[in-house]
Amino acid sequence: MLIKRSEAEAVRGGLAASFAALSSGALDRRAFLRRSGVAASGLAALGALSAGTVKKAEAGPMQPGVRVELRKNLCTHCSVGCTVLAEVQNGVWVGQEPAWESPINRGTHCAKGAAVRELVHGDRRLKYPMKLEGGQWKRISWAQAIDEIGDKLLRIRNESGPDAAFFLGSAKFSNEGAYLFRKLAAFWGTNNVDHQARICHSTTVAGVANTWGYGAQTNSYNDIRNSKTIVIMGGNPAEAHPVSLQHVLQGKEKNRANLIVIDPRFTRTAAHATEYVRLRPGTDIPLLWGILWHIFENGWEDKEFIRQRVYGMEEVRKEVAKWTPEEVERVTGVPGAQLRRVAEKFAKEKPATLIWCMGMTQHTVGTANVRAACALLLATGNVGGAGNGANIFRGHCNVQGASDFGLDTASLPAYYGLDEGAWRHWCRVWEVDYEWMRGRFGPPGADDATRKRMMELPGVTTTRYIDATLLEPVKDGTRQLAEGQPNYRAMLVFGHGGNTVVRMPEAVAALEKLDLLVVADPHPTTFAVLHNRKDNTYLLPICTQFECSGSRTASNRSVQWGEQIVEPIFESKTDYEVIYRLAEKLGFANEMFKNITVRSKVPEPESVLREINRGAWSTGYTGISPERLKAHMKYQRYFDLVTLRAGPDAPAEVRGDYYGLPWPCWGTPELRHPGTHILYNTHLHVKEGGGTFRARFGVERNGVSLLAEGSYSKGSEIQDGYPEFTMAVLKRLGWDKELTAEERAVIERIGGNNVDRVSWATDLSGGIIRVALEHGCSPFGNAKARAFAWNLPDPVPVHREPIYSPRPDLVAKYPTRDNFMAHRVINYGRTVQQLAVDRNIARDFPIVLTSGRLVEYEGGGEETRSNKWLAELQQDMFVEINPQDAAERGIRDGQWVLVWGPEMPKDKVCRMKALVTERVGKGVAFMPFHFAGWFMSEDQRRKYPAGTDPIVLGESVNTVTTYGFDPVTSMQETKCTLCQIRAA
Amino acid sequence: MNGFTLKLRAVLAALVICLGAATLDVSTAVAQSAQPAAPAAAHEEVLFRYLQTQGSGNLVGRVSIPDHKAATLIQPGGREFQETWRGPMKWIAAVAIIGMIVLVGIFYAVKGPIRTTSGYAGRLIKRFRGIDVFAHWLTAVSFVVLAITGLNITFGRYLLLPLIGAEAFTSWSEAAKVAHNFMGFPFTLGVLLMFVLFLKDNIFDKTDLRWFAQGGGMIGHAHPPARKFNGGQKIVYWATVFGGGALAVTGFILMFPFQIVTSIDGMQLALQLHGIIAFLMIALIIGHIYLGSIGMEGAFRAMWSGKVDLNWAKEHHPLWVEEIMNPTRKDSSLPAGAKGAGAD
Amino acid sequence: MARMKFLCDADRCIECNACVTACKNEHEVPWGINRRRVVTINDGKPGERSISMACMHCTDAPCAAVCPVDCFYTTADGVVLHSKDLCIGCGYCFYACPFGAPQYPRLGNFGSRGKMDKCTYCAGGPEADNTPAEYAKYGANRLAEGKLPLCAEMCSTKALLAGDGDIIAQIYAERVSTRGYGSGAWGWRTAYKDMVAG
Repeated sequence: MLIKRSEAEAVRGGLAASFAALSSGALDRRAFLRRSGVAASGLAALGALSAGTVKKAEAGPMQPGVRVELRKNLCTHCSVGCTVLAEVQNGVWVGQEPAWESPINRGTHCAKGAAVRELVHGDRRLKYPMKLEGGQWKRISWAQAIDEIGDKLLRIRNESGPDAAFFLGSAKFSNEGAYLFRKLAAFWGTNNVDHQARICHSTTVAGVANTWGYGAQTNSYNDIRNSKTIVIMGGNPAEAHPVSLQHVLQGKEKNRANLIVIDPRFTRTAAHATEYVRLRPGTDIPLLWGILWHIFENGWEDKEFIRQRVYGMEEVRKEVAKWTPEEVERVTGVPGAQLRRVAEKFAKEKPATLIWCMGMTQHTVGTANVRAACALLLATGNVGGAGNGANIFRGHCNVQGASDFGLDTASLPAYYGLDEGAWRHWCRVWEVDYEWMRGRFGPPGADDATRKRMMELPGVTTTRYIDATLLEPVKDGTRQLAEGQPNYRAMLVFGHGGNTVVRMPEAVAALEKLDLLVVADPHPTTFAVLHNRKDNTYLLPICTQFECSGSRTASNRSVQWGEQIVEPIFESKTDYEVIYRLAEKLGFANEMFKNITVRSKVPEPESVLREINRGAWSTGYTGISPERLKAHMKYQRYFDLVTLRAGPDAPAEVRGDYYGLPWPCWGTPELRHPGTHILYNTHLHVKEGGGTFRARFGVERNGVSLLAEGSYSKGSEIQDGYPEFTMAVLKRLGWDKELTAEERAVIERIGGNNVDRVSWATDLSGGIIRVALEHGCSPFGNAKARAFAWNLPDPVPVHREPIYSPRPDLVAKYPTRDNFMAHRVINYGRTVQQLAVDRNIARDFPIVLTSGRLVEYEGGGEETRSNKWLAELQQDMFVEINPQDAAERGIRDGQWVLVWGPEMPKDKVCRMKALVTERVGKGVAFMPFHFAGWFMSEDQRRKYPAGTDPIVLGESVNTVTTYGFDPVTSMQETKCTLCQIRAA
Repeated sequence: MNGFTLKLRAVLAALVICLGAATLDVSTAVAQSAQPAAPAAAHEEVLFRYLQTQGSGNLVGRVSIPDHKAATLIQPGGREFQETWRGPMKWIAAVAIIGMIVLVGIFYAVKGPIRTTSGYAGRLIKRFRGIDVFAHWLTAVSFVVLAITGLNITFGRYLLLPLIGAEAFTSWSEAAKVAHNFMGFPFTLGVLLMFVLFLKDNIFDKTDLRWFAQGGGMIGHAHPPARKFNGGQKIVYWATVFGGGALAVTGFILMFPFQIVTSIDGMQLALQLHGIIAFLMIALIIGHIYLGSIGMEGAFRAMWSGKVDLNWAKEHHPLWVEEIMNPTRKDSSLPAGAKGAGAD
Repeated sequence: MARMKFLCDADRCIECNACVTACKNEHEVPWGINRRRVVTINDGKPGERSISMACMHCTDAPCAAVCPVDCFYTTADGVVLHSKDLCIGCGYCFYACPFGAPQYPRLGNFGSRGKMDKCTYCAGGPEADNTPAEYAKYGANRLAEGKLPLCAEMCSTKALLAGDGDIIAQIYAERVSTRGYGSGAWGWRTAYKDMVAG
């Protein structure tokens, strides 16, 4: 491929020659247009065109003779973080050019990225605020909308307390938007705040963070170019992250690497694999243990790595011993010989990386799946180096950032958690009184203890809002909702589809029961049409990220700054402004925006990021200043394709940095830490992006040390494991003397009468981190990764059959966990599983249903299905059926079929097209999850506000999907349920 | 050309199968059972070879857009179509049409118009009804328009375009295209009418054998006996019915592309058959026009007024004259001397 | 003289359809007209391959040979273009095209078609370069700006190559020798009567 325009010039001898007079180097459109001097009056001639030509004159976007500005923003779809280069004339986005300079996408895009310009022209966008009045959509003003919403929220708060409201945020927010939204919920007084990470990678974050410290991709897309063995399990990046395949395939080609795809479905990624493993959906743990069985059996494990850096591998070994090739084949359907081949390659042809996506995470055993995957990486020593690691491909453009900034029921920004220390830390950053903040929480009239309890109790997740709204808090003496959690009465949904959560027939009842529903989004989304609400429903038009500026964090932790391409179109407003206006109406804007610059009610994102810089020490967001990020965007071309590092030829502002300052980027911006391309990489000095496994879980357990043994990052003065840095540790090492007077003053102010407890994460001066780095130490300590996580429900992952298992015979041996309370709502998983067995559901619903992405659409799909360039490519909701299953049912490719699931109302069916294909094995069906607007055979197009209905509507897979939640994160089960299909 | 002949052969084979009452299901079932397994590695050459054994020779896959045509990745037949169009089609057209014109010219030069040797009797007899005349001219006029606009598609680019320039040629061709589309309807109606109206007089019989044996009287000056229509006219009739019918069928297929016939091979074949049949028809009709006008004295009047001179009729269609003059005699093939029933 | 060609490396193409929407975006191509498309063969089976296909700008272009009004022309760079002012929408080029490239807006009676539209290799049409008239009929003229077709420039895995035929063939050949496999330059034999090592 011709990567650079200058190459293109060189190649195109004939043409280039003819342009020799025009330009010696790159000839941009602007230069051309200026030179060509085409008069604008030329447009008049277009009226004479006959009807047969392609389009009407007004569709031609490029105005000759008008100055073209180039602006850089980021694709708002998946997490790869592709730079979008926009051509703007007179404030109108007229064209997209390849962003050659980005080391991540190098000019390329997928279908969605190449079509983003349509989003800001979209005539199907929501144009002004609307509300339902007697069942009719009515246009209202912004002032009226904010007033009415605020009044209703305050009334609900007075009657039922702040926890009766649910703040559902978005992975489409910028970092600054996500942070403000989390802050909004905190200042309102609830932990009922969540976003899409819940339903895509919450189990990854929990599983990975509990293993080695941070809930994030350890390496990067670019680093996969170093791998010799690439295993993709439960992921289809060819459709979900197409640009990542650029790195995967080029790496595969250069290294002649093994590309092994493990998936129930023969995906487009599998089409490029050197080996494809088809497993039964929901049997990831047996499969991973099956691989490890061969590794342990043959002694292929990395014994030195395990000795130095892994805790509890013996416990894993015991569990793995149960998974003989015979039992693995019985449960997963994969022959032992194939797994032996995979095991040998993964253990011996190193570096090997394991890539996973939602096929691993969206299960009732999602967290356990992830930890089993980590165990495989740890056993083979495939973490913490170039070309290896857990390359977790996250879903949305800023799902990593939104997770980092605590759009989460269980944490404040930067994973500080919800305990008192965390609240006190953030109250210090926000410069508000801790007691005042505590007073925001709890039911009306509650005492301080109750308020504190609610303040520290993880909130209800998006997967359970239906139950939080519908379940009686106490029924027959059983608590169904946690004490203090009232039923939901209000829901504020920002940038989130209504078809993303399982059990949609029940969602209708929940949505109809709410006293207030606010949907803030560029499109009405399924939340606007799924129910039959008549009043108290508001739609607020929010602009896309292309219409505002801010930073976003790609899957590899690189943070990129997007610059506003055009002003918000129609009457839409930025997330920032709407959050500000709501806070103002709710009466806490002054406290919340105390240190943030706000201009005519629009908070400035740079100023928000600076506040983040002052508080997010734990993830090293502190070094990531707006100025540094903007310099990275400006000098993208200096960053290396494979190492992501800016070389010696780069301008001083970015020299030596890793692209996007992948966090942790330690200390203050002035410290100029380069960011961390590869986590836990002991081959590099901490100041050069090296690191160790995080000491997050203490220093010893049952007499066994949890700290690393003889392993340390390059240049470390402590050549062994060490705990996380606190003032006490500094003092013991005698390094506290190196703190400056200012740093010491800040630490003393924070510590009060217990200065020793101030840690690297709560030290607002950054002094402790600075000193630790000076000595080559990771501020968070140097520990072992945990193969055995004693604090989680299954400390060593064990196989548990899905709630709706196609193998009821295996349920007795591998049952799901007993019912339990999590995230304030009871989980009846065990009861449902037993009922499914007792009622022989697997006989009436013999097909396993799994779901996933299409390349053309994203998420709930409202935005992409409204994009005419994308919608044309997928015009019908479909279900993939194996030819044998189709033949048994008399189903032909392309015909209409009816699909129904065990939890749907009797006599209701979903109607969609059949795609008869061997992509799915016999007994398995696949549906894409982006469709909505048809609900159990009913076309709901008329229910959208006029002119805002997406071009393509279809049945949602989540109308068919069923009960089932992960015990750790309440992740929903969307990858393995049962259904039945027949010809329409 | 190779591909085209293959296709023609396939069509003939299909006809044979239909006539032989063999069901197509049987043949396709056989084809499927003999299908080799798809090659595992999708090398273009390997796949091509595999696909060549599978019938169409086109590389067909799956697309998500509804346009099923888009699923054909490569159809090498396009190149063959191009070659057929550029070579054989034009040669067939040129040989048939120019050949006929030359032939007619030579004939006219050598023989001149065929005259009624006995002179006009002055007595007219009715040869055609009004509806007959209408059907003929409906077909004739539409055919001429179709032929000219059709030939424009094939040869206009070479003959007319250089003379009048690209813009004018496009304007004319666009109009010609519309005319060609619309004229298809009257032409089809005319052919259907003629088929019905003239069918009973156009069944071949022994008279025609004699007529053919004597070369239709073209050579020499003898007039072989003929009934209402002689062998040559019957050929024109059946050519019009079959050829015109085929032109109508292929024409409608082309007018509704990919709706009646859904495969590109089918469309290509339809277009090629339409062209070739049209060229042959045009050649034939040139001959017909010659004989119906300057080639034969008195013939034109037959189709103009519906009436002919008795002597002309006696010379060219003696048996028909006999039939209409002596209406009881119904069957000319009766043995000499036999009497018709009720003749006495 | 450069001879512009397309080459789709089927071992890289993942049917992400970026080429399709990039084309739609750059030229504002209306719904139903698909200048470029991606076809997947052997769908769902080992050996599945996807290939992005558009007008290949053939040597001795069949469309040009059968066009009744001679509206096609080949530029000095080997790009096959046509004039919508001359096109009568007869549809013959679709029958001749080995790659299904010509597209027609549906107009009027019967199956009557509007003026043909197809991939221009981002090189516009006979009008003056980068004029509104050219844009309205054919879309952007990137070649005149010193840029290559956007579909290839934006290809997510750099499977779709555009540029001088000799150079992209060389790039492809180098890829094949690096990785040790290649399924050939799809359509080259038919389009350019030429093969590339694979």
